[in-house]
Amino acid sequence: MGLTGNAAIVGAAQYKPEKYQSAPQMFHLEQVADLARLALRDAGMSIKELDGLVIHGPQFHEASIFVPAMAAEYLGIELNFAEVVDLGGCTSVGMIWRAAAAVEMGLCEAVLCVIPARMAPFGPNDDPMWMAQAMRYGGHSTAFGAPEAEFDLPYGHLGQNTGYAMIAQRYAAKYGYDPEVMAKIAVDQRFNAQGHQDAIFRGSELTVEQVLASKMVADPLHILEIVMPVAGGAAVIVTSKEKAAKAKNRPAFVTGFGERLSYKSPSYANEMTVTPLAQAASKAFAMAGVRPEDMDAAQLYDCYTITVLLSLEDAGFCPKGEGMRFIREHNLTYKGDFPLNTHGGQLSFGQSASAGGMSQVIEAFDQIAGRGGERQLARADQIFVSGTGGVMSEQGALILQGG
Amino acid sequence: MSVKPMPVATSISQPFWQALNEGELRIQQCEDCRGFVFYPRNHCTHCMSDKLSWKPVSGEATLYTYTLTRVPTLPELADEMPQALAVVELKEGVRVNTTLTGLDESEIRVGMKLKPVFHKVDASGNTLLRFTAEHKALDIIPYNNPFESLNRNAKGQIQVPISNLAAMSALANNEFTDWSEAITVDQALINAFADLSGDNYWIHTDPDKAAKDSPFGTTIAHGSLVQVLQSRMQFALPFEVVGFKAMVNYGSNRLRFPAPVPAGSQIHARAKVKAVDATPKGMQLTLEVNIHVVGQERPSVINDLVIFYR
Repeated sequence: MGLTGNAAIVGAAQYKPEKYQSAPQMFHLEQVADLARLALRDAGMSIKELDGLVIHGPQFHEASIFVPAMAAEYLGIELNFAEVVDLGGCTSVGMIWRAAAAVEMGLCEAVLCVIPARMAPFGPNDDPMWMAQAMRYGGHSTAFGAPEAEFDLPYGHLGQNTGYAMIAQRYAAKYGYDPEVMAKIAVDQRFNAQGHQDAIFRGSELTVEQVLASKMVADPLHILEIVMPVAGGAAVIVTSKEKAAKAKNRPAFVTGFGERLSYKSPSYANEMTVTPLAQAASKAFAMAGVRPEDMDAAQLYDCYTITVLLSLEDAGFCPKGEGMRFIREHNLTYKGDFPLNTHGGQLSFGQSASAGGMSQVIEAFDQIAGRGGERQLARADQIFVSGTGGVMSEQGALILQGG
Repeated sequence: MSVKPMPVATSISQPFWQALNEGELRIQQCEDCRGFVFYPRNHCTHCMSDKLSWKPVSGEATLYTYTLTRVPTLPELADEMPQALAVVELKEGVRVNTTLTGLDESEIRVGMKLKPVFHKVDASGNTLLRFTAEHKALDIIPYNNPFESLNRNAKGQIQVPISNLAAMSALANNEFTDWSEAITVDQALINAFADLSGDNYWIHTDPDKAAKDSPFGTTIAHGSLVQVLQSRMQFALPFEVVGFKAMVNYGSNRLRFPAPVPAGSQIHARAKVKAVDATPKGMQLTLEVNIHVVGQERPSVINDLVIFYR
C-alpha cells in the first residue's frame, strides 16, 4: 500500500524571498513559465518531457477556475495529469506526493509542481484598496453562511496568530512551557539561514534575549517567533525512476507520505495539542519502512515556533510532552546533532505564501543532492519533510531518500 | 456594515441567536444519537442524522484554552485590548469560540469553571455570548449607549470623536434624518445651470418644445443640478464627527437619478449613515443622501457620499 519509491524529485527552482514592496511584480502565468524553465534547466530536462501539472489554485491571479488548463496552454504543453491543490501551507508537501503517485500509477512521466507567490501587477482599473480589504481577514471567510464569519469574527477570532497562541497556551497548561526553549528554535534556525545565500535574514543574527524582548503579539507568541510573509515562488519537477537515472542531480526519491485534515479551526480538534501530523507522519514512516531516528535531518514546517515543537513530538522525534527537553538538549543547526530546517526554516528564510512550504521540500532535495554549500550535511540520505496548513488544520509528511 | 463585525444569522442558525437575544443558551441535540452539535448545522456531526432539536443548556463550561492579544486582531477591536480570546468547552462537550469578560489577566487559567454572559451589543437587543468565571456576579452586560456620555454642540448635535469606535459604529443605523426645508427648482435656475455647464439640451431649456415632445410634458432639471443643490438644503444630521485632523470628500460610491424633477418643482433632502468602516485610509463614513420632489416617493437623486476622516 502506498508509494514504492519509483518517483523522485530531480529539479527545483525558487525565487529568492523578498519583501513585497521591493519584489518584482509578475503575472502568475508568467511566474509558472519562468519557474518551470528554471526547474527544468536544473533537472536537465526538456519542456517536451513534461506531461503532468500540479498547481496551486487559490488566489491564482489570472483565473479562479480552469487554472491547470490555462497554465498548460500558456506553457505550450499538453497534460496526462492535472491537479489543483488547496492545502495552504501543506500544499507543497501535498503536491509532491500527488505527483509521485501519478507517476507511479503510470498516469504521466514528469510532473511540474508549481506555486507562484509574487504579486501580479495591478491593472489600470484595479483598486489597490480591494487588495487591502481582501487581506485583512487572512484565511478567514467572510461569506454569508460561513461558520467562521458568523461564529468567530464577531468575537475577534481570526487570522493565524491567535489560533497558534491558543494551542501554545493549552500546551503550556498540559506540559509546561519554557519561553527560552521556544526562542532557541528561532535562534538555531537563524544560524542556519546564514548558510543560505537567498535567506531573507542572512546577515542578521539572533539571540534568545532578542526573541524574548521582541513584541508580544498574542500570549505567549513573540513577533520573532512568527513567520514573516514575503514574495517568492517555487517549482519542483517529479519524475519516474527511469528519467531520474538520467537527471543532472542526485534524485530524491519519494518513499513515503501521509496526509491528514482534521478541522479548519483547532477549537474543534479532539485534542488541540495533538496535531494531524501524528497520523500523517506515522503513515509516511510506515510506507517508507523507516523510523524517525533514521532521519539525517528534518525540514519541519515552521510558521511559528510552536508549530516546530508540536511537529517534533507528533512526527515521533520525541515523546509527547518532551519537546521542550528535546530542543534544550539538541543543537538544531546544520552543525548540530539534530539538523532542523537547515535553510533557516521559513522563520529565517522567509515565507512566500503557499510556496513557503516548498522551501522545506527544496532544502531536503538540495541536501540529498549534495549542493547545500556551506550548510551541507555530512550525511543527507534520508530526510523528513512536513507541511502545515491553516492552524495545524491540515498536515502532510514526506520521506525523501537519496538514490 | 458596522465597524465591528456582527453575526449575520442564517435560516440554520437563527434559533441560536434568537435564544441569546432572549437570554438563553440553546444548542442542537441529535434526536437519534443524543449527541450535541455546535455550531448550528442541519445534520448531526456524530451520526449524520438530520433530526436535530434545539435544547436549552445551562452554559456551564470550562476554559479549554485562551490567549491575550497584544495586537488587535482587527483595528475595529482596538477598544477591547487585550482581547481575551477563548475556546470554551460546554458541559455538553461542544466547544465555542468566544471571549472572556470581567476577569483580570491573573485570574485566567486553562481549566477554570466558566458561565455564560449575555452581552447586548446594540439597541435592538442583539446579543453575543461571552464567558466569565462561575463565581462572578456577572450574567448580562446591558447595551451601553455609546452616545450617552458624549457632548452636544450648539446645534444640539452629538459630538462623536473618530477615536470612539463604539459611537462611530453606532452611527450606521440606517435611519433617515428629518427632511430638509424645501427649495424651488425654477426655469431660471435650470437656465443658469445650462449656461454654466454647457448642457443646453432642449428637454431642460425649451419649455415650448418640451410641452409638445417631452414624455414629461415640461422641461426638467439636469440630474447633476439637482445633485449639487444638496448644498442648499440643510438636513439635520443628529451628529457631528469631531477629533479628526483632516476630512476628505472621496466622491461617491453610487449616484443615480431615478426620477425627474420638472421645472417649478419643490425638492427636499434627507440622509442616513449607511456604513462606517475603519480602513487603512482612515475612518470611512458612507452617507446616503436622497433628494425627492416634495410628495414623491421615488427619489430624484440617490448619492452615496464617501467621506474620510483621519
